[in-house]
Amino acid sequence: MRISTDMLFWLQQKRWLLISLIMGATLYFWVPPPHGLSPEGFHILTIILMTLILILKEPVPLPAIAIQLIFWQVIIGGSTPNEVGSYFMNDAVFFIMGSLMLAVAIVGQGLDKRLALGIIKLTGNKTWRIVSGFTAISAILSSFVGPHMVTAMMLPVGLTLVRFSERKRGSIKKLTAALLFSIAYGATIGSIGTPSGGGRNVIMMNYWAEFGSGTLSYIDWMKLVYPMVLIEIPLTIFIILKTFPPEIHNLDRAVRRLSVEVAYAGKTTPKEYLTMGLFGLVLFSWITLSETFGLGTIALIGIFSYMAMGLVSWEKLSKNVNWGVILLFGATISIGVQMKNTGGAAWLAELSIHFLERMIPNIDTLRAVVSVALSGVMSNLLSSSATVAVVGPIVLNLGGDPIMLGLASVIASAFGYFTAVAAPACTIIYATGFVRAGDFLKAGWKMAIMSIFSLMLIGIFWWPLLRQ
Amino acid sequence: MVAMAKMNTTQKLNPDALKFLTAVSHKKYSKQTLKLGSLIASVFDAHLSVAYVGQKVSEFHGSMVNLTRQNLDKWNIIHPGLEVLEWALEELKELRPENEGLAKVKFNADHVFEEDGRVRVLMPEGEGCGVELILREGELVQELRKEIQLDDYDLTIIGGSQNKRHLAHSIIQYLPSSILVLQDFRPKKKYKLLLLVDDSEATKKSVEWGAIIAQKLGWPIRTLTVSKTKRFGAGYQGAADRAKAYFESRDIEVEQFFLTGDPVRTFVEFAGDNHMIIMGASTLNPVKQFLFGSKPIKTLEQTDVPILIVR
Repeated sequence: MRISTDMLFWLQQKRWLLISLIMGATLYFWVPPPHGLSPEGFHILTIILMTLILILKEPVPLPAIAIQLIFWQVIIGGSTPNEVGSYFMNDAVFFIMGSLMLAVAIVGQGLDKRLALGIIKLTGNKTWRIVSGFTAISAILSSFVGPHMVTAMMLPVGLTLVRFSERKRGSIKKLTAALLFSIAYGATIGSIGTPSGGGRNVIMMNYWAEFGSGTLSYIDWMKLVYPMVLIEIPLTIFIILKTFPPEIHNLDRAVRRLSVEVAYAGKTTPKEYLTMGLFGLVLFSWITLSETFGLGTIALIGIFSYMAMGLVSWEKLSKNVNWGVILLFGATISIGVQMKNTGGAAWLAELSIHFLERMIPNIDTLRAVVSVALSGVMSNLLSSSATVAVVGPIVLNLGGDPIMLGLASVIASAFGYFTAVAAPACTIIYATGFVRAGDFLKAGWKMAIMSIFSLMLIGIFWWPLLRQ
Repeated sequence: MVAMAKMNTTQKLNPDALKFLTAVSHKKYSKQTLKLGSLIASVFDAHLSVAYVGQKVSEFHGSMVNLTRQNLDKWNIIHPGLEVLEWALEELKELRPENEGLAKVKFNADHVFEEDGRVRVLMPEGEGCGVELILREGELVQELRKEIQLDDYDLTIIGGSQNKRHLAHSIIQYLPSSILVLQDFRPKKKYKLLLLVDDSEATKKSVEWGAIIAQKLGWPIRTLTVSKTKRFGAGYQGAADRAKAYFESRDIEVEQFFLTGDPVRTFVEFAGDNHMIIMGASTLNPVKQFLFGSKPIKTLEQTDVPILIVR
């Protein structure tokens, strides 16, 4: 048979799909399960390995990756179709779906112009103060509404200041980077602050409930984690200003032009008041009612209200929400639960402990290191939520306090500072074309060291006080 | 006469229906690519499409990136790719002052149309100006291949990339059109055309391309035939003679060279830094090309001068 160029091209494009399938078949048919791991657990880990290859190399679209996760669980994972389906939809998936929809409903309502005006009033026109304001506001907003919505709203403000500085783009590279990274890194460090700050937080809460590891209320989460956000804000500002010292120290003209531009938006309209009011209610309900109704259900009530009030159309939601991501999280959580049920998670947890125990004799430190290292490394390759979905069951099988280890894992999954793929805020600023991949490395390693240090600080000194 | 008759039996180049595609990436790096791309398209009187292929955004966050872009549009901050295309349009207007249709075109980032996985900039004022602007996102070779297959381009013009050696294989093997790779191209430099001649079918077409470029740009032409042994067979000798006869019939001055040695190394050494190489695409089967490479792939990997591979 003569292989045509078209076939060769297809083979090259799909080589990672073929590698994933060949590896899966080899492990399933010819490799016996390792000692201490059940065949079902081994098959579930095989599916996860195949899926990680597909997520990393994307030889097929994201929804296709989710779909193969579902059918492999039935075909080789030993699960029944209804079993897979029952784990597929839960409050975490509802929350991810609802928060993506809320972002679509709120971004583009013109609130970003109000936000811009507020920030400028607060910071004035000195560059370092603007960078500080962007970082602090992005972090605080993101801790409640998630990094994607904050970045989508703050980015136009930052880029408009760059444009209005009336300098050639090449001559203000560092100023541009400082403004954009203050938004992205601000939003990323903030996203751990409350359960509603990110899908991964809710995924972990879901695992705690599913695995009987205990629960944590919205307020308790904040008490444990928010101090870390507050420690990280000034340190992040310092890192950004040191890494990208802005070429211009005063953005007077740009700020004035931005104020004029924003002033054209006129007074706040009833629609904008309604948008803000509804979101305020959602936020209030998350804080006070999420233990009873769940974060996902409240997010869905919010999105229902936006649609009922005519603030967003279904057409706009269906066009702008990535349904593939929702499908993928449903599928990832279902395999996460299967990983626990079949003993695969416990086996991996034991393996990690066994592998590292000679280097770190203290078991509590060892558990913390495994939890943070696994999440931190994987979050720079996958998205942070996917990391928690996969790593969560392993971390919760390490022994020790599952709440503390789970929190450490969730926090470390936000350390995706090195690449543009890990955190949504980083991907969004990278897609503007104003920052390069190298910029993430330049600032990312400093951010990672600072974040690990901050986590150690609250883990050693703060958490024991609250968990006694 | 026999030689001329043989040359005429090959598929003729039809300059009236030619479509060229130029890939641009950045104002700073793509200026020369656009300049020579425009020049070559003018030489052949070809339709020119300018394509920006942007980085693929991770599918995980794709919808949020789109949402942010919609919001940025409201602040009049356009997609970085559209910014590059706007710049390309202005450059083309300067490069082609005689094109009245093009002069009328006003770039409007809102006038775009999404179809077949790409975004086309609509330019109603410039209908018939022979220029099109296209935005794509994804892996470079994959997106250019889709574009070439969609609009059936005859020539793809791309700038020299820093990871040329990595891309050379994919570009030559998978792009289904002739390919002009502009590496260290300097517009003010006096270039000579170096046509690599052997007995393959592709040589015949590259002779036609070479003749048109030489005629229109007034660049001197040299033909080079390389044999691994000291003996040049009838096929090589005949092909070189036919090429010479073809050029002379069009009053193009031509110098003929016959050298012995490793073909790729000889091409690269002979080309030095003042030639533009023209050579036919390989006729090796795709698997062999994939595993062992081909003369065009190896030449592109090793040379720093512009190279046109005719398919």
